[in-house]
Amino acid sequence: MKKLIIAALAMSGLALAAPDFGDHKSETLTTKAWKAHGAGNAEDALAYTAKCLELYEAEAKKMQAALKELPANEPKEETFKRWALNDVGTCLFIKGEVLLKKGDKKGAKEALSKLVGEFKFAQCWDEKGWFWKPADAAKQKLVELEFDEKK
Amino acid sequence: MKRSKCASAAQWYFRRVGDPAYSSPAPFPPRMIAGPGAEQASRGVCGAPGGVTGSTFFSRGSAVVGRVTSRGVLCALGLLLAGTLAYAQTPAKVELQQAGQSGWRLQVNGADFVIRGAGGATAPGLLEKLKEAGGNCVRTWGVDTLEAKVSGGARFVDRAQQLGLMVVPGLWVEHERHGFNYADAAKVRQQREKILAAVRQYKNHPAVLLWGLGNEMEGPTSPTGSVAVLKEVEELARLIKQEDPAHPVMSVIAFNAAKIENVKRCCPSLDILGVNSYGGAAGAGEALKRGGWTKPFAVTEFGVRGPWEVATTAWGAPLEPTSHEKARTFYATQRLVTELNDGKEQCLGTFAFIWGWKQERTATWFGMFLPTLEKLAPVDAMTRAWTGQWPVQRCPEIRALNSAAAGKTAKPGQPLTATLEMEIPAGAAFTYDWQVVAESSTIGVGGDAEAAPAAFPDLVKQNNSTNCAFVAPSASGNYRLFVTVHDGHGSAATANFPFRVAP
Repeated sequence: MKKLIIAALAMSGLALAAPDFGDHKSETLTTKAWKAHGAGNAEDALAYTAKCLELYEAEAKKMQAALKELPANEPKEETFKRWALNDVGTCLFIKGEVLLKKGDKKGAKEALSKLVGEFKFAQCWDEKGWFWKPADAAKQKLVELEFDEKK
Repeated sequence: MKRSKCASAAQWYFRRVGDPAYSSPAPFPPRMIAGPGAEQASRGVCGAPGGVTGSTFFSRGSAVVGRVTSRGVLCALGLLLAGTLAYAQTPAKVELQQAGQSGWRLQVNGADFVIRGAGGATAPGLLEKLKEAGGNCVRTWGVDTLEAKVSGGARFVDRAQQLGLMVVPGLWVEHERHGFNYADAAKVRQQREKILAAVRQYKNHPAVLLWGLGNEMEGPTSPTGSVAVLKEVEELARLIKQEDPAHPVMSVIAFNAAKIENVKRCCPSLDILGVNSYGGAAGAGEALKRGGWTKPFAVTEFGVRGPWEVATTAWGAPLEPTSHEKARTFYATQRLVTELNDGKEQCLGTFAFIWGWKQERTATWFGMFLPTLEKLAPVDAMTRAWTGQWPVQRCPEIRALNSAAAGKTAKPGQPLTATLEMEIPAGAAFTYDWQVVAESSTIGVGGDAEAAPAAFPDLVKQNNSTNCAFVAPSASGNYRLFVTVHDGHGSAATANFPFRVAP
């Protein structure tokens, strides 16, 4: 009985420490990943990005495959309709950033290369009033990594 | 000064004889006519009180611009001789050619010319450093710079030529945000005359590559660019091409893809579009292509991400990258826009910003050098990108600047510390300079001039080491702790962080 109580307490403790995925929507997971990264909480940030990829990567791939190029002068609302693509792309960018900060260049390169190769039409809304493309930012990061390797 | 004396006389000569209004071609190369400061010189020297009586002459706008004196006549005669000599100067043969279906290339005297450029280089010694780093072109924002005295007392434009560097003279086009009214016909005419005079003056100089018409004149923060200004840019481009068909005309905008449509519609005479872009520079080619820009472009300012593009503290102070982090961005942007990204085939090259130093948000944000002429890591990055080789003497590398005070609020007078993580090669004897500086309170727009904020040297208690002990200022406000690392061989590294003081 005593062992069971300890185990239950341990499990509840673990449950408390686990990241809260909220409603599990891609938007929620991405926002939480940004916040965790901003707060320096690498493990939570990685957990949120992993969950987003696990749940929405397939849908994101479909959305990406449906595009030959990004529509020009598209209303913001239309861009938001590609929610899975946008959030999965953004999560891969966050994952790359987090891994870079942790010193895991190999892991970061994998995440960023996947973003560039598979989700290049993902877009992320900047609160300042425009969309930016995580794949473009990832490409820049990859060349920046190359810069350090060329020492 | 001697040159200016003559310029005023030449100006008179040109206005009476060479002015198109008199239906007679200029009798000698216009570069000898009306240099910057010529008007001032005409008042102060050739038309000085005490000169032999002369007649007043007028510009088309009826402003008195000088007086004819016997000294002036002598000057004009001297100029005839100098002008004859100057005829020996032949402008470079500059051609824009289509390459493939949608690509463009620039040719100078029959050879491909990829712009490996920088903006600035006005302090003596910096043109030489540009050449040494593998650069081949320098851009100015105004024509006055072409007359600036640089190494050995040579004119900027002549020294550039001696070094084999091409020059893109900036022809300043006024900004509405500085109060210029494009509905004021007289002002617009004056601006046209000034710009065309500059074109006449320099069009035969062999160092001139192309004209840089204006800089962000359409409005750096305007979403689609001022149509009134862009229409005038078109008129200026057309007039410049009439005056000098030998050089392409480029106009420079603060890049934003939403401006492309207005530029295309209003400015059909432009040969090249110059785009100033920082965080988005790598994607400029793709954006231009998608926006339907089919002519060539150059990235006319790029480098570190701007203060408006980076993370900030809770009170909005932007976090400046270290000089090494900036170097990465320079290198990556250069590679992406010229070699890797879509639209690269339309890109004629780039101009790194700024080959020198400038107070803009901080004293170190954009500068690739310190005022001591010590180079910073972005120079190494551009050397690598331009030549494929690192410079022999690399800049010190700051890995991190750590402090519990970074991005936080301290109490007035609170003792604080900071530590540098450095890559220190064996045998290096670096020196360290820590400074507490107030946050800039005159934050301009679009690179407008800013006053340097106050420094508080007495607050640094432990200096010249990788560790710093300092004291928070007694007055509440926003500050930064700066560190500069010197290698003693002409290279340096910089970093800083913002902190706040409140009771």
